Amino acid sequence: MSSKVLAFINFKGGVGKTATVVNIAATLAALHEKKVLIVDLDPQSNSSLWLMRPDRWREHVARGRRSTFQIFDDALQGKNRFDFDEALVKGVITWTGLTDLPRLHLLPAALELLRIEDRIHELRPSAIYQILDSALGMQFKQYNYVLLDCPPNLYSTTKTAIFSADSCIVPYVPDYLSLSGFQVLAEQVTEMREKFAPYLPGRRRPNIGALIVSHYRQTGNVFRLAVNELELSMAALREAGVLSEQTVLLQPYVRHCVRVAESTSEHLPVILYAPGSIGAQDYADLTQRFVDLFETKK
Amino acid sequence: MNYSDLAGRLAQIGERIARHSEKLEGEILGRSAGKLASQLDRFEEHLESHLASRKSRELFLENLLRSPASKRHLTIALLKRASREVGGKRLKSEDLAAAKREFIHLVHGAGKQDQAVQFLKEVFAEAVHVESGGKEKTLLQREFINLGQLLDEDFAKEISARSIAELRRVAAVNGIRFTDKTNRQRLTTLIRRYAQRAAFNVPAARVASSD
Repeated sequence: MSSKVLAFINFKGGVGKTATVVNIAATLAALHEKKVLIVDLDPQSNSSLWLMRPDRWREHVARGRRSTFQIFDDALQGKNRFDFDEALVKGVITWTGLTDLPRLHLLPAALELLRIEDRIHELRPSAIYQILDSALGMQFKQYNYVLLDCPPNLYSTTKTAIFSADSCIVPYVPDYLSLSGFQVLAEQVTEMREKFAPYLPGRRRPNIGALIVSHYRQTGNVFRLAVNELELSMAALREAGVLSEQTVLLQPYVRHCVRVAESTSEHLPVILYAPGSIGAQDYADLTQRFVDLFETKK
Repeated sequence: MNYSDLAGRLAQIGERIARHSEKLEGEILGRSAGKLASQLDRFEEHLESHLASRKSRELFLENLLRSPASKRHLTIALLKRASREVGGKRLKSEDLAAAKREFIHLVHGAGKQDQAVQFLKEVFAEAVHVESGGKEKTLLQREFINLGQLLDEDFAKEISARSIAELRRVAAVNGIRFTDKTNRQRLTTLIRRYAQRAAFNVPAARVASSD
């Protein structure tokens, strides 16, 4: 199966990273019949807790064993205890008590991931980059899309995700703080591309493929002007060779929607919780553009 | 619980019943078994219908017609076109919900679920297509940044050389909201303020545009 591995990154928090990952993944599975894997790499475990009830999540990831933590712990301990099939959560449990969206799979995160950053530098940098790719590269081939939900930083876990990815997606909130952060992020990704190059022979080096705007409000000038400043910044970064010519700002912008926030408490993606809401409609349109982008790109 | 868990549980119960069948007796157990059997009848019916509709793609077509994309983009006119192109028949219903039911019935009867799914997918994909704005947008954005970098005197000179229609185009492309009543002076003030802000906030743009 030809799979697309996409790292959702931004070192700024609160930009809608997890909402984007969860809702695009669910829409890909539900409306486009794609087999999708979410890999939660954030110690806050937000994708996991969005899609799993807390009691079930706690039981599943007890001591970090059936979670992405085990992948990093194995790399540090030189062991091989991570079992992909055991750690995998298939589908989403709905109010009926049974699963829906059978094509959507999740590798949950555990709080133990917090301990990884302190210890990971015991390894060589090149070994760090390759952790995720070595552990999951073969498994990724079973899926049409693999979405890597990264923590809001650019530390080692995020670097392993960028290394494994075909492309990076940057969720973005239209305000100045995000804009200034994005310029730094784009430069950092460019730097990483150079560092990774010797270890990725024959493979395309990851680049920022798309930006996705969340929490958009149509009232007044505020957000239109902020998005315009983002477009100006993207144009300048393209000219400076920091962003690729192919990097796009995907539309529609996802509007602020209370039903999306509410769906986190129901542990369901918005397409299952409130399919008629503007949030579900925005994600449906955005996912269509997402498919157009990644399935027409050569 | 997922369906594999359920299958495992049913298999386990079945195996226990078979193992102890000769010892099972009594009214309470009998009544409970009767209820379970009737629930199982209903479940089997749903399961059969689900598997059949999945095989025929009827279920996916129904999901697509109920989807958020359908809610936003599917009109009665589009559904009528779909009916003509896919099923070769006209829909009689004028109400969208009724037309959807009629469409499903028609498509299922003609066995053309795949074509209907394909048609709807193409319609939804077309509906979200966004024009990039092309070269003109890029030029007007570049102009906006340049205007933001000018000193007051040079800015005034640049602006005076442009018609109000040109100023409106610069403002509209660069996210400035205005109305038909917004006069030249107000528009100039808005462009000045936000162009300066953009030039300040997008430092990389300043470097690139001065090349």
